[in-house]
Amino acid sequence: MKNYLKLVNFEFNRIAKLFAVLLGITLVVQLTGVMVISKGYLNMANEKIYEEMMTKAQFLEDFGRMSFIQIVKSVWFMGPIALCIAGVAFYIFLIWYRDWVGKNTFIYRLLMLPTARLNVFYAKMTSILLMTFGLVAFQLILLPIENAVMKGMVPDEFRVDMGVIQIVNSVPELALIIPNSIVELILYYGAGLMVVAILFTAILMERSFRWKGIFAGLLFSALAIVVLIAPLLLQAFVLNSFFYPIELLGIEIVIGLIVLAASIWMSGFLLRKKITV
Amino acid sequence: MRKYWKFTAIFAVIVLSIGTFYVNSARSAEQYPEFEIQTVSGDAKEVKPVVLEGAYTNTSSMNYVSTNVKISAKGSAYNSRSFLDQIVGQSPTLIKEFQKKYHTFMRGKNSMVNSFFEDQQFLVYADVENKVSSLLSHDFTFQLSVLNKEDDSISSFKVKVPEAGELDHIFVEDVQLMGDEIILITQNTMRENDTFYDEKHIYTIERGNHKITSHEAIIQVPQGQLDTRIDVELVRTSPAKANDHLIMVKTERKVMEDPDGDAMTEEVIHQEILSYDLQTKEKETINLPDLQLDENQLSFYDGAVIYFMTIEGQELVVTPYSLADNQAGQVYRIPLSGEEGIAHGQMTTVKGGKLYVASSQMSPGLKIDADVIVADAQTGKTLFKGKLAVKDASEQPENFEVYLNEIVVK
Repeated sequence: MKNYLKLVNFEFNRIAKLFAVLLGITLVVQLTGVMVISKGYLNMANEKIYEEMMTKAQFLEDFGRMSFIQIVKSVWFMGPIALCIAGVAFYIFLIWYRDWVGKNTFIYRLLMLPTARLNVFYAKMTSILLMTFGLVAFQLILLPIENAVMKGMVPDEFRVDMGVIQIVNSVPELALIIPNSIVELILYYGAGLMVVAILFTAILMERSFRWKGIFAGLLFSALAIVVLIAPLLLQAFVLNSFFYPIELLGIEIVIGLIVLAASIWMSGFLLRKKITV
Repeated sequence: MRKYWKFTAIFAVIVLSIGTFYVNSARSAEQYPEFEIQTVSGDAKEVKPVVLEGAYTNTSSMNYVSTNVKISAKGSAYNSRSFLDQIVGQSPTLIKEFQKKYHTFMRGKNSMVNSFFEDQQFLVYADVENKVSSLLSHDFTFQLSVLNKEDDSISSFKVKVPEAGELDHIFVEDVQLMGDEIILITQNTMRENDTFYDEKHIYTIERGNHKITSHEAIIQVPQGQLDTRIDVELVRTSPAKANDHLIMVKTERKVMEDPDGDAMTEEVIHQEILSYDLQTKEKETINLPDLQLDENQLSFYDGAVIYFMTIEGQELVVTPYSLADNQAGQVYRIPLSGEEGIAHGQMTTVKGGKLYVASSQMSPGLKIDADVIVADAQTGKTLFKGKLAVKDASEQPENFEVYLNEIVVK
């Protein structure tokens, strides 16, 4: 266990710089977005009321009040989130491949460590998880700050006040990364964990068998997908909606866990027996 | 320990912020207002068995997500929008009760109340399966399931739809069990060369030996002319009960293009009311020359009396017609709330000799009130008049809407 934690710490320290950069970009771009959009609304209000001589009430009726949801749905807000997702996706591959770079490949030292080789796998997995949850947590901290900035900029009568929880509930796109309940959080990110495990296994297959490995990796992924979809296909075409929806969810969760376990086992096998440096 | 700070720091931040968010989220579950049926006049006891089901939306924020709500005289209950509830899904109240009581039987059954029939001993389900074998021909099969409530035995079987050569489409509109015969009333679309026409069809299936003993067309709906449209609709009945008559309304409508815009308006040219005896398979016309039903979904047949209902201006006009006596009773009118002489959508049902009427929409922003009225079905005397209101007026949100879609009388 201690070895695992040391490895996690080591892996995380390697990502720390990338992570900090993503956090920084998110902070700067989103805050700028809040200010730009709020100012834009105020400018429009000013123009309509003072230049076109519209009354305040008329303006509010035609254009409505400003709400934080407008900011959330804009590119200023969603852009950094998309960037972070791309960053994590990119690093899922890089976290392995960077160890093979150079003359004295680092992977050689990792594999020579006096610890179960699966610990290397677990540590890399945990680091990806930490980075993902870290970004989500950072977003959760940013939201009330950004909300306060908007409140500071737009006067009372022109805005609709919403709490963070209300905002998250009202924007379906946000609900993908910040689901509405703990149950959904565990289900969504658990599914993500399984996907990362499958990807790791495919990467290890490539590192073990090179060209044949890529093919094996794709085959493994395809097999995993088939196994996961199987209950849904059965339900629709063979069994005539035999299962109640909640039973189907239970079945899918069990199958997901099985696929996760199979990926971990396969990765362990490859790390111990087949990997090439 | 110094070199571990980044990892522990981020771990702590994650646990704290995500934890706080979900704890707060669980604690401050959205505050929904509590609704009740407020008495305007009459005896509040009459409205006790009424349950209204619909959806509530808070339109103050730019949030158009709605939540399902059940409102009764005492108060309201909201469907939590938790993930597990969303997986379970929404079905009509009757289907949910069946799923609770007859869990195994209800597997793989669709959620339409009209596909079911229940009496003391049996629960019957019927549906049509459509296998498209080639571009022109289909294979239609009835799928039936009978649950014997006494010994919990389930008998499921398939019967091919006979003479399906000209059949283009078929769906089951009503299921009944009379003695040992399962009776299916279906809406068939027939194809003759290139023309299509609809017909209502009845199939009688023997429950014991699973064979179709007879089938015939009840009524055929001729294709209208270029600008007319003919419909035949069944008058609503209590879904799970057996009735020995079917009441149908055949309406011929003229479709005209609105001279001002592109909208199409329809005008009823001709209407015929027919009653079909399920035992003797005979049709009879019901003569009510003054009656014009603009829409059929308000009328109700409770097994003995047909209550023809239509909205005229701001009133619900009810014509009770006793099938046994072949005579119409006294026409009565029930005033509804509305604006400028126009009442909005309503839902009606009749149970135990009483007529229950409820509006299908409450929008305080548009000044639309939701009435709930209980009246004596025979005479039309109002026993209770009430309206939907937020229990505590101070809790009322700035702007909201409630759309009701089901009225259930327990």
